[in-house]
Amino acid sequence: MTCSAVDPQELARCRRGVFLALFTALAVVLNVFEFLLPSPAPWFRLGFANILTLCALYLFDGRAAWTVSIARILVGSLVIGNLFAPGFFLALTGGVLAVTLMTGARALAGERLGPVGASALGAVGHALGQLLMARWLLVQHDGLWLLLPFFLAFALVTGVLNGLIAALVIEKVATHPAFASQRRTQE
Amino acid sequence: MIAALWSRTTVLDRLVVVLLLALVVASALWAAQRPAGARVVVERDGQVVFSAPLSEPRSARLSGPLGETVIEIEDGRARVISSPCPTKACMGMGPASRQGDLLACVPNHLIVRIEGGRQEDTPPYDLLSR
Repeated sequence: MTCSAVDPQELARCRRGVFLALFTALAVVLNVFEFLLPSPAPWFRLGFANILTLCALYLFDGRAAWTVSIARILVGSLVIGNLFAPGFFLALTGGVLAVTLMTGARALAGERLGPVGASALGAVGHALGQLLMARWLLVQHDGLWLLLPFFLAFALVTGVLNGLIAALVIEKVATHPAFASQRRTQE
Repeated sequence: MIAALWSRTTVLDRLVVVLLLALVVASALWAAQRPAGARVVVERDGQVVFSAPLSEPRSARLSGPLGETVIEIEDGRARVISSPCPTKACMGMGPASRQGDLLACVPNHLIVRIEGGRQEDTPPYDLLSR
């Protein structure tokens, strides 16, 4: 595929594709790394992959966040080997709810919402989505909701943590020349 | 360090985090509000295989497809003390004492439930003719 460097729009499109692929690849790596880490209990994950979804949301737009997060869940599941297993559907529901909340809040609040707020919302949304799906698929007992406070508390802590990391990463990356055109369109 | 991170959050970020924290506290209060249970009921694939009052200390050996899961009732609390499953998540769930608490050992197909004094599914009459 050739990319004509003289057409700025074409160049921006190419750059976007390349960066989103890069974000997705990094998210998959973090996802798999997390899967290998010992976890205090099943479904308690650190959610580092969300850092890259946040990068896509803040450096590009909501559509980019959807691309990175859905692609990451699909490819990550392939690598881990749980595609179409219950765990995959939990991750997918959590992911969809998380990205819905993050992109929705970003669209509503615009510049007033930073990565930390979006990340906290996304993490809590992810925990809720996972529990809903687990209640429906796996446990089928209302006693599951007793885990809710633990899940939400854990999600909030990891969400804020990932949000701070994402804020630092976005700050660093946004100053790169490759994102100069992005900045101009946003200003 | 902390100041540097704090400066990277917007006012709305802090508000969102505080609101979500309130949600966590609310859900914790809601979960802690249930009354203490009275009976332990163990189900295997939907069939009740064991039932005992929480007030008497005892232990029970329950067989599932993987082997024996041992539960112990003590001080009005039930816990799984040994299990043949690979993850040992059921042992990690700690004691259960409140109505509606649940200890599940998914690999061994056992679900330990705590029920209240009155069995909700057995009404105080034998038959209702309509």
